Amino acid sequence: MSARATVDRIVARALTWGGLLSVSLILGGVVAAGLLGQLATPGHPAEIFTSLGDIRRALALHPPHALAVTALGLVCLLATPVAAVGLAIPAFWRDGDRLYAAIAATVLAMLLVSLVVSAGV
Amino acid sequence: MTPPALLAALFATSLAAGTAGAVLGLGGGILLIPVLTLFFGVDLRYAMGASIVSVIATSSGAAAAYLRTSLGNVRIGLFLTLATVSGALVGAGLAGVVPVRWLQLLLGLVLAYSAITTLRQLHVELPPVVEVDALALQFGLEGRYHDGVLARDVAYHATHVKRGFLAMLGAGLLSGLLGIGSGAFKVLAMDYLMRLPMKVSTATSNFMIGITSAATAGVYFARGDIDPLLAAPVAVGVLAGATLGTRLMGRLRNTTVRMAFLPVLVYLAASMLLHGLGVLGS
Repeated sequence: MSARATVDRIVARALTWGGLLSVSLILGGVVAAGLLGQLATPGHPAEIFTSLGDIRRALALHPPHALAVTALGLVCLLATPVAAVGLAIPAFWRDGDRLYAAIAATVLAMLLVSLVVSAGV
Repeated sequence: MTPPALLAALFATSLAAGTAGAVLGLGGGILLIPVLTLFFGVDLRYAMGASIVSVIATSSGAAAAYLRTSLGNVRIGLFLTLATVSGALVGAGLAGVVPVRWLQLLLGLVLAYSAITTLRQLHVELPPVVEVDALALQFGLEGRYHDGVLARDVAYHATHVKRGFLAMLGAGLLSGLLGIGSGAFKVLAMDYLMRLPMKVSTATSNFMIGITSAATAGVYFARGDIDPLLAAPVAVGVLAGATLGTRLMGRLRNTTVRMAFLPVLVYLAASMLLHGLGVLGS
């Protein structure tokens, strides 16, 4: 298999699994919220999660806040492209493509900088 | 509408947005935001939060499939993302300093010109054989995909790389300044300036929009603009729609994709010009 195909396969796999994991968590949370009678009206939120700490605290409640699972799924979804770029770096490097390993690393660094600077994560 | 009925309606809308987004290389925001605010009465803030989720969902769903069929090009995508992300970072830093209305006017004019150019090349299925660009060779900006409609392999390579890169830098700058997605500009720069096949342009744009949006998505999340119950049906619907869209793409000609792209350009150009002229308010 060519170097190009290997990198493409790794990035495609990261995007697919990231998407599937996210959808499972998103749907699981909504179904659980329905069963626990915690469904509000979409677009008129009763609860907003703005950090992973918020999500963790909501999950530790008794009963847990089911939509925190959905929020966790959304965080996974937002992290999926970042993870795909991250996984592309060693894939390019292994294939001897130092130039693109450096380009992917630069893109990843810029993404992380912009997250840290703008979101204060 | 009861919450379950509303969830179903939102899912159906997002399914359509995801399908269109996957074919056209856009995140679906230009379709979703007006529908969510006008028809579902959602606050603009949450509609924009759902839209950024939609962009990433479209990208994850569509790009994975396009990379498997070699329509999407990781190298071209990453190379150009360097330009869009750095442009967006500078743009976000300059927001509030540069007058927005002039930018909108400028953007509207560029888009109107692009719409005319697109109209002129509506019938072009594949770009003509282009001169070899030294930068394209150096950065490996080329590829090959199997075109089901044409029943043959199509090899391509980029040209005018410098111009394409600068256009992406500008697109990133504007998206950082104006807070808009820039899927349409990415497609235009690849199709029109770099002379890549239209389907390769939209498929690669799909890969890129996820990465560029991830940079801003954290901001929306931390600001509390992402309502999980609104974003959930949007994300799931858009992902399902994007999967449908990628299947559909296999059966479309480059000319059909370009024809479907044209109304989006016209709409964007009109919207930017009207905002810039102050008719729609900024």
